Amino acid sequence: MREPSIRVKNLTKAFHGRTVVDDLSFDVEKGQVFGLLGHNGAGKSTTIDLILGLKAPDGGSAKILGMDAAKNRKQVFKRVGVQLQHTQYQSNITVEEACIEYASLYAAPADYPQLLEGFGLGTLRKSFVSKLSGGERQKLSVVLALIGNPEIVFLDELTTGLDVVARREVWRTLKQLKNQGLTIFLTTHYMEEAEALCDRVCIIKSGKKITEGTIEETIAASGQKNLEDAYLFFMGEEELL
Amino acid sequence: MKRFWRMYWVEQKMFFRSPDVILFNLTMPLVTLILIAIIAGNQNAADSGLTYLQSAYVALSTVGICCSAFMSIPITIVECRSRGILRRMYCSPCSPARLLSCDTICSGVMAALSTLLLTIAAVVFFGYRMRGNVLAYLAAWLLTMLSMFSIGLMVASLCRTTKSMNVATSLLYFPMLLFSGTTIPAEVFPAWFRGVARWMPLGVGIDLLKSVSMGCYNKILVPVMILIAITILCGTVAVKTFRWE
Repeated sequence: MREPSIRVKNLTKAFHGRTVVDDLSFDVEKGQVFGLLGHNGAGKSTTIDLILGLKAPDGGSAKILGMDAAKNRKQVFKRVGVQLQHTQYQSNITVEEACIEYASLYAAPADYPQLLEGFGLGTLRKSFVSKLSGGERQKLSVVLALIGNPEIVFLDELTTGLDVVARREVWRTLKQLKNQGLTIFLTTHYMEEAEALCDRVCIIKSGKKITEGTIEETIAASGQKNLEDAYLFFMGEEELL
Repeated sequence: MKRFWRMYWVEQKMFFRSPDVILFNLTMPLVTLILIAIIAGNQNAADSGLTYLQSAYVALSTVGICCSAFMSIPITIVECRSRGILRRMYCSPCSPARLLSCDTICSGVMAALSTLLLTIAAVVFFGYRMRGNVLAYLAAWLLTMLSMFSIGLMVASLCRTTKSMNVATSLLYFPMLLFSGTTIPAEVFPAWFRGVARWMPLGVGIDLLKSVSMGCYNKILVPVMILIAITILCGTVAVKTFRWE
């Protein structure tokens, strides 16, 4: 059997006695777009931190491409791109310089002018990152996640703060990349986004898995008509339905 | 290696864009030298055996070191940490160490540039000539830079927040800049005060540089040992206590 791109097994993490990730397990197959859904504070970002080796788990394991990211950092991140929440940039760096800086970390980086074009940032190459709008900066962080030509990309809350047009631009580009075989792991609290992009979703609440499956399976299991209603159903917010 | 220099150049360009660096690191020592040279250039500076110009040149040649070590290095590193840039770099095949070494080299280049401008002005416009060996002076200058940088790197490692870093750098930067004779000639202070200032790390460096610039090589052993000890001690603390986030 082929090794999944990401394998999370019984992952557990607590901070100051509060369990944030609770016995979480799932697999992400190659070429899949996998969405981790949940409220703010449900443990989505912590799960990403644990998978990427930025934090050490209290129990369980997470493997990317069969490797432990904390132990094989270089090997893993040659093939994995990330966009983390709350990453800021140096105060006086330009868009192009940020691209050059991040591209310089990889042996065979992607063509950044082309990536910038794809995300509608082509005309902003010489602009300072600090002068970009929130949405433009968010798109730049996705560009930088893709700059190493990764096989897997992690996107944490990628379209938060984007307007409708910018969100559609990002979706379009991600779909193109998916068609080229990119595996995508994303977290979001926009169900519309999960429906548009994801092959498979996993809904978590207080770090615990509530349900996992394809979009259709998830909606069917809830007996609701769309993913947003299904999400509310699984979250125990039936009074809102 | 080519990739390293590509990153270095991006970082270096940002240094040139920073008004603080241009003002404190490059302009201030130059302006101070010009003022001192015009006002009191050829008078003897107290009992030091140097003229004010000779004394000021030595002291001002460390301003760039001081600015880089106690401002640029800790500020850049703590900023990269608090903005999550180091964390993001951790998620790449090259470690954040690359970014840190780029920034340290950038700071060193700024310090060297500051001293180069100063030297050109002193030699070309004010007829400054060094009695001691120029290469020995250069070696002593590099040692001073290394030891001051190790202090700056230690501060960057130890300070968890931008606030505590600002306090620490101000406590290091301003006293050393004002009282070790870098900007205000040490010779104008009373003797007891000079005695204290001499034992500040930068004061030790300036003492060494003054001796070398006069060609007195008989009392350089102690300052050299002190500076080497500072470098080893602070460098070790900096590496051992370093955190990416």
